[in-house]
Amino acid sequence: MTEPTAVTSPGTIPPAADESVNSTSQSGIRAMWESWTNRVFTMREDRFFLFLAVLIGILSGLAVVCFRIAIEWTQIELLGSSISPTFPRVILAPTLAGFAVALLVIYAFPRARGSGVNQTKSAVYVSNGYIPFNTVVGKFITCALAIGSGQSLGPEDPSLQMGAGIASLIGRRLRLSQEKVRLIAPVGAAAGLAAAFNAPISAVLFVLEEVIGTWSAGVLGAIVLAAISSVVTMRAFLGAESMFRVPPFRVAKPADLLAYVALGVVGGLASLVFLKWLAYARPRMQSLPRWTQHFQPAAAGLLIGIIGIRLPQVMGAGYPIIDQAMHGQFTWKLLLVLAALKILATGISFLSGTPGGMFAPSLFIGAMLGGAVGAIEQHFFPALPGTVGTFALVGMGTFFAGFLRVPITSVFMVIEVSGNYTAILPVMISSLIAYGISRSYVKVPLFDLLARQDGLVLPSVEEQREQMILTVEDAMRVDAALVLERSDSVADALKRLEGREGLLSFLRVRPGEWNFIERSELHRFAADTSQSHTVEEINSKGPLPFVFRDMSLEEALHWAGDWPALPVLSRADLSKLEGLVTLDDILKAFRKVPVR
Amino acid sequence: MSSSANTVAMGEKRTRIYSREAVLFGCIVFLVLFVLFTAAASRMYHKTIHVLADNWFDQGEVSFRAGDIKSALTDYRNALVYSPDNAKFQFHLAQALAAAGRGDEGRSYLLNLLSESPGSGEVNLALARIAAHKVLTADALRYYHGAIYGEWDNDPIAMRWQVRRELAEYLLDRGLQRQAVPEIIALADSTPASDTEQLRIVGNLLLKAKLWTRALDVFRTLLAVNASDEAPLLGAATSAFNLGRYSAALDYFDKLPEKDRTAPGIAEMYKTSQQITEMNPFLPDLSREAKARKAATAVSLAATRLQQCATQVGQSLTATPSQTQLQKAFAESKEFTPDENWRNIAKHPEAVDEIMGHAFEMENAAAAACGEPEGADRALWLFGRSRGVSAQ
Repeated sequence: MTEPTAVTSPGTIPPAADESVNSTSQSGIRAMWESWTNRVFTMREDRFFLFLAVLIGILSGLAVVCFRIAIEWTQIELLGSSISPTFPRVILAPTLAGFAVALLVIYAFPRARGSGVNQTKSAVYVSNGYIPFNTVVGKFITCALAIGSGQSLGPEDPSLQMGAGIASLIGRRLRLSQEKVRLIAPVGAAAGLAAAFNAPISAVLFVLEEVIGTWSAGVLGAIVLAAISSVVTMRAFLGAESMFRVPPFRVAKPADLLAYVALGVVGGLASLVFLKWLAYARPRMQSLPRWTQHFQPAAAGLLIGIIGIRLPQVMGAGYPIIDQAMHGQFTWKLLLVLAALKILATGISFLSGTPGGMFAPSLFIGAMLGGAVGAIEQHFFPALPGTVGTFALVGMGTFFAGFLRVPITSVFMVIEVSGNYTAILPVMISSLIAYGISRSYVKVPLFDLLARQDGLVLPSVEEQREQMILTVEDAMRVDAALVLERSDSVADALKRLEGREGLLSFLRVRPGEWNFIERSELHRFAADTSQSHTVEEINSKGPLPFVFRDMSLEEALHWAGDWPALPVLSRADLSKLEGLVTLDDILKAFRKVPVR
Repeated sequence: MSSSANTVAMGEKRTRIYSREAVLFGCIVFLVLFVLFTAAASRMYHKTIHVLADNWFDQGEVSFRAGDIKSALTDYRNALVYSPDNAKFQFHLAQALAAAGRGDEGRSYLLNLLSESPGSGEVNLALARIAAHKVLTADALRYYHGAIYGEWDNDPIAMRWQVRRELAEYLLDRGLQRQAVPEIIALADSTPASDTEQLRIVGNLLLKAKLWTRALDVFRTLLAVNASDEAPLLGAATSAFNLGRYSAALDYFDKLPEKDRTAPGIAEMYKTSQQITEMNPFLPDLSREAKARKAATAVSLAATRLQQCATQVGQSLTATPSQTQLQKAFAESKEFTPDENWRNIAKHPEAVDEIMGHAFEMENAAAAACGEPEGADRALWLFGRSRGVSAQ
C-alpha cells in the first residue's frame, strides 16, 4: 500500500522561500488540511461511507434536538404550559394551526404530507435515495406546528424522514455512487429515528425490518454508526434519561406470564380495529374534492380540540400522559376511554393529511390499553405480579407490534424506552400474540397498505420474510450421479452406466475437485479396443464449481448454466458426493413455488 | 494506459476530490454552526422548561399548603412534564396523591424513587404511611424500618425518633402490642432525659403499651422537673395504680386538680386507690388496733361477697367435702370466723397477714365464679392482686 501524498490544488502558487513566518505557518496548516482531505478522499468508498454515517448521525441528532425543542416551544406558545389547556386555546390552537399546516403542505412542502416512513422507503426503492431537502424543512415546520398545536401525531416518523433527507442531501452533494446514495437514506433514517426515540437498537431494527428489509452487512455498520452518533448527540443536549420511568417489578412464576396473554389478545384486536379503519377511511378521504384538503387538517384540529376540552390527554404526542399511566394515575375506565379516543383522534389527524408520525400515538394507545387490562386483571386477581405501569409498558410494545407489524423492533423498543429488561418476556409473549392476530385479519402491513393506496408497489418486508427461500436441497437429485475414480477403467464405467439412462458421471479428481464426463466420451474411448483406457484419460469437463445442499438456489443458478450439472458435496467431506443439480432441476424447483 | 489518458483520469479525479473536499468542508462548517445553534437553542429551552417546572412546583406547594389538593396535583403534574426525573417533584406529587386518598397512585412514584435511592428515609416514610393507611402491616413495618435506618438530610436523629414514634402509634392503634413494645422501648431509650416534650410522648406510649414500670420512671423524671405538671402526675398515678402501688397512686391523684380527678376513667382509679389505702392494714405507722380493724373489715367484706356469689351461682357453701373454689374458700373461712373480730386480731398482730390473705382468697374465688367485683370488693380484690395473690 502506498502512503497518500499531499496533492497541490490546481492553480496553487507555491510560497516563496523568503516569505514571513506567518505565511510559513499558513502553508503548514494548508498542508495539514490537504494531507487530511487526501486521507479522507483516498480511503475506500465503504470506509468513507462509514465516516459519512457518523457525520449524518451527528447532523440528524442535531436536527432532531431542534425538532423536539420546536415542538415543545410551539406547544407552550399555542396550548400553554399546563397539561390541561384553557378552553379557547384547546379549540383555537389545533384548528388554526391545522389550517396553516394545510396551506404549507399544499403550497410550499407537498412532500411533507404523511408520516415519513413510506416516503423514505419510496425514496430508497423508487427515486434512488433522492429526498429533496425542501421536504426536511417542510417536515420540520409542519410537524412542529401540527404536533405542538395538539394534533394527535408523533415526532418519530418525521424525524426518520428528516434524517433520511439530510443523508440524501449529503450523499448527492458528495457525488457518491448510485448504490451508496440509495443506501444512505436509510442510514439517515436510522439516525433520525434513534435520536427521536433515544433508542438506537430499535431504530436500527426498524430501519432494517421496515425500510430496507434485508440484513445487508454493507449497510448495517453504517446504520449502527449513524444511530449511535445521533443518540449520543441528542443525549448531549437533551439528557440521557429513559423516556419512561417504570417502577421495578419481577415475574416470579412462569404462570404469571399468562396475565400478558390477555393483553396480547386485546392489543391485537385493538390494532386490528385501527388498521381496518385507516384502510377503509383513507381512500375515501383522499377521494374528497381537492379544495377540501385546505380544511381537512383544520377540521381534524377542531375535532381533537373538542375531545381535548374534556380529555386533553389525547392531544399531541402524549408522552407525559404515558408516563402518568405507567404510574397508575388513571382508573381502568379512563384508560380505556383514553385508548379509544386516541385511536379516534390519531385516525382523524392522520386521515386529514396532517404531517406527523404514528409511533407516539400507537405507544400511547398501547400504554392505555395495557394499563386498563392490567388494572382489570389485578382487580380480579390481586395476587398478580406487576403493577398497572408494567402492563402499560408491555401494552406499548404489544400494540406497536400489532399495528406497525414490527415484532422484533417492538420488543427492543420497550426495553430501550424504559431501561427495564424485566419486561422482555411479557412483551415478547403479548407482542407475538398481537402480531399474529393482526396478521391473520389484515394481510398487508400498515405502511405497505398506505403505499399501495398511493399507487406505489414497494417491496413488502413482511412478505419477503415469509417468502420461501429455495435451497439446493429443493432441486437436487440424489441417485442420479455415478462417481468415478481416476483409476477406473472406461469399460467398467460403461458397465455401471448400462441401462441407467439418466445417470450422470462425475470424476473425483481429489477432494473438492470434481470433473464431469460425458457419456459419449466414455463410448468414444470404449470404441478403441486396442488398449484398455482409464477414465482419467478422457477429456472431462472441470473442475466443476460445487454447491452444498443448504445453499440458496439463486446462488447455484449463477453456475448451473455453464455446466451440464453441479456436484452437491458434503460440507464435512469434499470427496463425498451427495447428489447433483442441473439448470433444469433448478428451474423446475422455482416453477413449483406458488407465485404471489 | 497512455500518459494523456492518465492526465484525463487525474483531472477527473482531482475535480471529484475538489468537489468532495468543498462539500465536506461545507458540511463541517455547517456542523459547527449547527452545533452552536443547537447549543444555544437547547440552553434557552432548558432554561425555559426549568423556569416552568419551578413555577408549577411552587404553585403546587402553595395549593398543597392551602389544602387545595386537586389543584396541587395538577400543578405538580405540570411541573413533572417539564422535569420528569425530578425526584423532589415526584415525591411531592406522591405525597399529594396520598393526601388525596390515592395512595396507590402515589406509591408508584415512590417505588420509582426508592429503586433509585433505597436508603432514602423520606421515601420509605411516605411508602410506610401509604401502607399503614391501607393496613398492610408487613409493608408498613418494612418501610418504617427503612425510614428509621435510612438517610435523612436534616436532623436525622429527630426524624428517626419521629418515625419510630409514628410506627409505635400505628402498631398500638392496630392492637399489635407485642410488636409495638420493642419499638416503644427503643424510643424510650433514645429519648434524652432533658427533652420533656419527647418524654411526655414516650410516657404516654408506655402507658398505652402497659409498660407501667418504665412509664412511671419517665413520669417521675418529668415530675422531677416540674412537680405540679398535670399530665405527668396523671401518668404517674395511672402507672402506679396499675403497678399496684396504690398509696403512691393516691399521692399523685391527690396532687391533681379536682377536675382531673373526677374525669371519666380517672375517678374510678382514684376512688379505688382511696378504698385500697383505707383498707390497707400494712401501712406503716398504723396502730395495732387500726390494723386489726382493717383486717377484720376486709374479712367480713370478703365473706359477704362469697355468700352473695354462692347464692348467685346456686352453690351450697356448706357441702362436704368442698369441691368448688367457693366451697373451699368458705371452708377455710370458717376456721377464721370465730376470731375475726378486730379485738382478737389485735391480740395477734402477726396473724394480720394470714387473715388478709384469707380475705384475698375469698375475693379471688368469688371473682373466678361470679366475675370481677365492683366497689369495695373490687378494691379488696385488686389489693390482693397487688399483694401477690394471683387471680384464678
